[in-house]
Amino acid sequence: MPLTINRRIALLLFVIAAIYLFLSFQLPNYPYAPIDADVIPKGLGILMIILSIFLFFSKAIETEAEKEKRNIPKKELLVLLAVFAMIFLYILLFEIIGFVIMTSVFIFFCSWFLGYTKWKSNIIVSILFPLGMYAIFVFALGISLPRGILPI
Amino acid sequence: MNAFDGMITGFQVALSWEGILFVLIGVIVGTLIGMMPGLGPISAIAIMIPITYGMDPAPALVMMAGVYYGAVFGGSTSSILLNAPGISGTVATAFDGYPMAQQGKAGKALAIAAIASFFGGTVSVIMLMLLAPALSSVAISFGPPAYFALMLMGLTAISSLSEGSTIKAMIAAVAGVMVVTIGIDPQTGTQRFTFGNVNLFDGFDFLIIALGLFAIAEVCMLVLNRKNRSLSDDQKLGSLKVTRADLKEMSGPMTRQSFVGFILGVLPGAGATIASFISYIFEKRISKNPEEFGKGSIKGLAAPESSNNAATSGAFVPLLSLGIPGSGTTAVMLGAFLVLGVQPGPLLMTDRPEIFWGIIASMYLGNIFLLILNLPLIPYLAKILSIPRPLLISLVIMFSLIGVYSISFNVFDLYMLLVFGALGFAMRVFSFPAPPFILAFILGGMMEQAFRQSMTISNGNLAIFVDSPLPLSLILIAFFSLVIPGLLKWRSRRKLAKM
Repeated sequence: MPLTINRRIALLLFVIAAIYLFLSFQLPNYPYAPIDADVIPKGLGILMIILSIFLFFSKAIETEAEKEKRNIPKKELLVLLAVFAMIFLYILLFEIIGFVIMTSVFIFFCSWFLGYTKWKSNIIVSILFPLGMYAIFVFALGISLPRGILPI
Repeated sequence: MNAFDGMITGFQVALSWEGILFVLIGVIVGTLIGMMPGLGPISAIAIMIPITYGMDPAPALVMMAGVYYGAVFGGSTSSILLNAPGISGTVATAFDGYPMAQQGKAGKALAIAAIASFFGGTVSVIMLMLLAPALSSVAISFGPPAYFALMLMGLTAISSLSEGSTIKAMIAAVAGVMVVTIGIDPQTGTQRFTFGNVNLFDGFDFLIIALGLFAIAEVCMLVLNRKNRSLSDDQKLGSLKVTRADLKEMSGPMTRQSFVGFILGVLPGAGATIASFISYIFEKRISKNPEEFGKGSIKGLAAPESSNNAATSGAFVPLLSLGIPGSGTTAVMLGAFLVLGVQPGPLLMTDRPEIFWGIIASMYLGNIFLLILNLPLIPYLAKILSIPRPLLISLVIMFSLIGVYSISFNVFDLYMLLVFGALGFAMRVFSFPAPPFILAFILGGMMEQAFRQSMTISNGNLAIFVDSPLPLSLILIAFFSLVIPGLLKWRSRRKLAKM
């Protein structure tokens, strides 16, 4: 029996469901409720295990369109990872350095990295967008965004 | 309050300066985001939710509704011009819309789509206005068992109707409920799956899930497809003129499919996408010259366009009168209600008539605005399709991050947004549908409460779900909705394959 992609996903889901089920059995008891907090999680865990078994043995063959979706060149996956890394850095730093500066930097570099070559419009957008959003959120909606090292 | 008085209340909201302004903002934003291939109505609604914080609920929800039907309206533009559907509800629009554009009749195709959308939307609002109050007054007597059964029905329906494998859709739905069990259980105070992490005590806010699973995941797909063509500056739209003969030709499909679309929109699980496909096949089957379909037929364009817009307003029937979403998109709409402290359901009509009727009344107005936006203004609006993909990607990422940050000011939630973004991307890559996940996430908490309340009423006896006719019949429908649409889907796919 070949280990198709759906089978691998089914195995992964089975493991996740087993861990979830195990954790559900660890939940503490609460004596005063007819249906305690652990009933639904246990049911869900069992249901997921059944579904993963169904998926494992399902006869559905992957369609061409589905295969096509899965077929991502390595280089593109690296690009995607880089974008995630940039978002990660943004989250890490934006409370310290501040919303306006970090957002400007992010929009400029992310757009440039993904192949936007028009420098001037990139600079204009990456300065105006954060300022506009900051103005809307802080002054119009009263939601404060991190100021960071800027005095405003 | 009868429907007539109700509509007077509604129009007082919709025609106030605030109402008009926010309907306009809603439909413009909806149209623009809906046009963008890859960004769907769920992302559009989720991105706009933070803007509504602190707003008065009535205008805020009028705006959010506008975003939703505006996105469905706008999705047709990119289907016609680029053959890249703006949203999944307008896939069928491209079948005949794109061939028309290739024949140099893009302007005419856009105009026909706009008229058909307007017609479908308006007919559907009239039916919404009549049906929603009636359903509300029936639903007011529903107890927890009936509610549990209703939600179960919604969940099974979307699993069975979503694209691709039903098992995968059910796995997505179960995973959605699993995620909602994380946090402190509201009935007993037990911590579930929090691992002692304070950030998890309240569970995940639905906006993290909606923006991660949709906006961020859609951005990932955009990154992969960033080199696909966008609208070139020199593309000519051609004349927007629709002749009387064209109108006559489209009047039949438009009228029929508005009703079909509305009914499919009301039913749980179906929604705009399925409605548009069914309407397309319907019209092709009854047409005297079916060979014209796919080659730029006016009928083939008008049918899905009136149907998907009718389905969108139809989806508001269960949302407003039962408080139960029937699709991923209306689930996020329900989230938008809850964020503003409004609980949709049978009590909404009597407790908050200005919201219930305001939304319905605003849809008349919104459809007129959309007709204006999509007819005379479409050449200017379509310019947004030439926005460079890399810039669009960065901006959507920023909107999502700001949106999540502004609910909790907690950086932990931003990391979770990334996690759910990666999950949503993986689901797309491995063909797991995301709408059942978000619907299950929103319904999951409500379902668990309804289930446990029923159990408390019956002292732990499961028979409460089959003792009275209403929950029993709903559970039976839920069961059959897993079986029958599977068969229908199989048949329609065979038919599509033959076409």
